[in-house]
Amino acid sequence: MSALRFAWDEARGVARLLADTAQALLRARPPAAVVWAQAFDVGNRSVFFILVTLGFLGAILNFQTGFQAQRIFGDTSLIGAATLPILVRQLGPTLVGLMVAIRVGTGIAAEIGSMVVTEQVDALRMCGAGPVDYLVKPRVLAGLIAVPALWVIGTGAAWMAGLWVTHLAFQTNPATYVNLDLTRGADIAEGLFKAVVFGILIPVIAAHSGLQARGGSEGVGRATTQAVVSASLAVIVLDLLIGAVAFGLRGGAGA
Amino acid sequence: MIEFEDIHKAFGAQKVLDGVSLTVSQGRIVYIIGKSGAGKSVLVKHLVGLVRQDSGRIRFEGEDITHFTERDFFGLRRRCAMVFQHSTLFDSMTLVENVALPIRRHLGATQREALEQAREKLALVDMAALSDRLPAEVGDGLRKRVAIARALTLTPRYMVFDEPTTGLDPVNAVRVDRLIRDLSDRTGVTSVVVSHDLRSIFGVADRIVMLYQGKVLLDGTPAEFRTSHDPVVRQFVTGAVEGPMAL
Ligand SMILES: Nc1ncnc2c1ncn2[C@@H]1O[C@H](COP(=O)(O)OP(=O)(O)OP(=O)(O)O)[C@@H](O)[C@H]1O
Ligand SMILES: [Mg+2]
Repeated sequence: MSALRFAWDEARGVARLLADTAQALLRARPPAAVVWAQAFDVGNRSVFFILVTLGFLGAILNFQTGFQAQRIFGDTSLIGAATLPILVRQLGPTLVGLMVAIRVGTGIAAEIGSMVVTEQVDALRMCGAGPVDYLVKPRVLAGLIAVPALWVIGTGAAWMAGLWVTHLAFQTNPATYVNLDLTRGADIAEGLFKAVVFGILIPVIAAHSGLQARGGSEGVGRATTQAVVSASLAVIVLDLLIGAVAFGLRGGAGA
Repeated sequence: MIEFEDIHKAFGAQKVLDGVSLTVSQGRIVYIIGKSGAGKSVLVKHLVGLVRQDSGRIRFEGEDITHFTERDFFGLRRRCAMVFQHSTLFDSMTLVENVALPIRRHLGATQREALEQAREKLALVDMAALSDRLPAEVGDGLRKRVAIARALTLTPRYMVFDEPTTGLDPVNAVRVDRLIRDLSDRTGVTSVVVSHDLRSIFGVADRIVMLYQGKVLLDGTPAEFRTSHDPVVRQFVTGAVEGPMAL
């Protein structure tokens, strides 16, 4: 029960911070140079990690799918066509979201958390720079730019790893594997939408955890852990919800 | 003028302020004293909205700021600056960028103008040569000087100093004491100073307020403190280990 209560409070806190950030963005946009620098930082910090993890997971997905396809149909020619839409609309954004939560969310929570416990956030407020304006806003915009870019990169890496592994395991012809027939505009829209949502939400959740930090370095540690847990949970839950809504909007699997 | 009226503040189950009232007259220097953990920092942070009271009223220049929002406090913080207990510079910014931040944010100056002005301010406190260093690259005493320079950049009419001389060598401590006195005598700045430093308390204060167990134990002139017969005040003023003061 107390866990539910905690999740509810956490969600409300995040929603409030999200609203404050949106309001702050309407008032004034942060300097473009700051946002780009942050976006590059997010990208650079996670791109290698994402290439490796998404590459392996893409290889695994295609290998296992091919394995089952061969058992059931004795044919692996449609693997590439079948796995691409799943990667684009579901595994790509979700895995990228999880990796960004781990790689970048922790950094944001630790940075803001240590600024809170050392009173730097209070000092910022004294200097006329609120934490939302000064710390959260640029990071949210950076996430909004970087996560969709990472979604493209990660999805591409996963699918290409699949090409290689299916060729090795089932001798699937690369030209057969590269087949976009089953991938629709709606799949791309769903994947991009998820990437945008995660790009906004992960920094907000991480910043919220950081701003809640109390006590000394122990408090920063707790805030950092909290950030990964909350952000990962949010990514997974929203993946299902957005997926379900998209399925409804498309009127089922046919479209 | 600053008025606190019956301020209560608790963190969870821990009562820190249990009905504190005090008034600071225009242009005066009031020292807040009390043992570690007495709630001195918590009390002074109420004035600039960094801590919000559970109950009670606060007035600033006659205006009731009890229910000010964070945005309302934005304007107040231009008129009332604060030097934090641990100096608290932004560790990702150089010293000059630290000083430039309030100029940029409060006055809406461009980064270039702000940096230029900040350099001048640092030159005034003999720190021009170090202005491009990061806070971690200079000592505690220098950080404190920068923190004071940053607080004074907007020439505020009110100042909160939280332990401004703690960690300074005696010469620099005297400099800071003199600065606080001069601000009041020459430009009429009203100061609230938190301190443990008996020398500066008795050398600078117009009035002293002692917090004890969440309440004001004594509010009076330095002379009144020296001659007080209250055993807790006596223990504090003489620095005696043995005495009635609860740990
Ligand atoms: N944000 C906070 N959350 C929880 N407890 C707090 C918070 N700020 C202060 N406290 C607690 O309130 C009490 C008073 O703290 P405060 O910093 O005002 O003491 P102080 O009188 O300034 O002491 P010192 O001389 O050591 O600076 C302490 O027990 C502290 O742990
Ligand atoms: Mg203190």
